[in-house]
Amino acid sequence: MEVGEKTMMLKRGDVAKLARVVAETREDEIGCDECFARLDRFAEAELSGSEARSLMPLVGDHLDKCPDCRGTFEALLAALRGT
Amino acid sequence: MGERTNDQWLADLRGPNPDQALADLYELLVRGLGAGLGSYGGGAGASAGDFAQEALIRITANLDSFRGESRFTTWAQKIAMNVALTELKRRRWRDVSLQELSARRETANREPADTQPSPEQQALQSTVLRELRRLVDEELTERQREAVVAVLLEGMPISEVARRMGTNQNALYKLLHDARRKLKRRMEDAGISSREVLAAFDEG
Repeated sequence: MEVGEKTMMLKRGDVAKLARVVAETREDEIGCDECFARLDRFAEAELSGSEARSLMPLVGDHLDKCPDCRGTFEALLAALRGT
Repeated sequence: MGERTNDQWLADLRGPNPDQALADLYELLVRGLGAGLGSYGGGAGASAGDFAQEALIRITANLDSFRGESRFTTWAQKIAMNVALTELKRRRWRDVSLQELSARRETANREPADTQPSPEQQALQSTVLRELRRLVDEELTERQREAVVAVLLEGMPISEVARRMGTNQNALYKLLHDARRKLKRRMEDAGISSREVLAAFDEG
């Protein structure tokens, strides 16, 4: 086995980043498809001032962890505010 | 444009003469894309019409999947935003390969700015550093390592890494979730709690 070549060479800054996301990991995270399926409702709850995150905590958690879905969510909010 | 209820939207789009509803929806999507992609750059505004057109195709093909949990127009705008951002991310990352990304890591200096951690914090950081390095090398699969580097360390969009790895965004998120869970469990097995990990890298 070429152990040396497979090594990812984590540097201290990487470890800080990785340690954080690992520490924040939970067993019950939902995936992007499930988040997307509920994103319209979540966005409306957010805009109406009701506590979207307490109503749909797993969607909120996914948005914290997934930059792709967070980007879609933020753009959707801006679109809804602007139309 | 008169306001339609969700049922009216569905009836109009499914009816024999959907043209007016399609035109109204197109106009709404273009305005929404303009507002939503404002900060994005990269010709986002100029492509709003194309994105709206593509989204309309997707929307009309998937009317049955609208669950009525929001306004129809919110659901439609969500799809338009997904179409647009998927394409914009593709354009922005077009020239970056995963191989290049890991090659770049070999040479880059990634030591963070020194924040002078306390001696206890330093000791804990060293333990976490050693343990995480070992776990990443020994416990993760090659694909998990590749995804961890590209997404979690280099900040590449999940959708773009997925495209390069021959999978989709949802599956790659799950693969990363599995990797994170495994690392977390093994850290705990090694007697390092999440709280300690966060404390070790807390910059105050």
